[in-house]
Amino acid sequence: MTVMSGSIDRLVGMAVLASAAVSMDMEVEIFLQLWGVYAFKKDVIKKNMNLSEFNELGEKVASRLKELNIPPWYEMLKQAKETGKVKIYACSTATSIWNASKEDLELVDEIIGAGEWVEKMSNAKINLFI
Amino acid sequence: MSMSEEELKKLKANKVVDARGTSCPGPLLAAKRAMSEVPLGGILEVLSSDPGTKRDLPIWAKKVGHEFLGVIEEPGYWRIFVKRKK
Repeated sequence: MTVMSGSIDRLVGMAVLASAAVSMDMEVEIFLQLWGVYAFKKDVIKKNMNLSEFNELGEKVASRLKELNIPPWYEMLKQAKETGKVKIYACSTATSIWNASKEDLELVDEIIGAGEWVEKMSNAKINLFI
Repeated sequence: MSMSEEELKKLKANKVVDARGTSCPGPLLAAKRAMSEVPLGGILEVLSSDPGTKRDLPIWAKKVGHEFLGVIEEPGYWRIFVKRKK
């Protein structure tokens, strides 16, 4: 999955699919681009409340997620990592843009370049752009 | 071939995982995690209140290589039985 977005609604969608995939014994690789890298920053990850659509419904969605016991996206992704094979890569350029290193990012395994990622994409059965 | 409700009701599960109150894909992940504690040939029973689970688990069993035994519908939740095959 290529994750460009840093909006929590899209990140929830990404984490749901990653969890379902590891349950199905599939391997998951995630490549974070610009806003995706930003959303994984340690000083941002828990504070981020950005939505990509229907901003006026943000509070309603947040309270429904809570009522339905749906954990935050990063907790869901952490569980998926603990359960199966999930690798998270951050785009080297985006990481430079945010003046970050791997240590500043939560859950990220490695910083890689776009060439390595497209090579990985060419070998995957499913490719998603989020 | 799934079993009849009568047959399912007589089953003694080796492990019961109660995933009621969690939403998809929570029960699926719970099933995957719990299966490692079931002996080979043993039975896992998953309780789920999410309507997606009774469709997800047979597909999961087929993909992963376990045997889906069937579902009992209870008020507000489902009991789903899977036999560990590998």
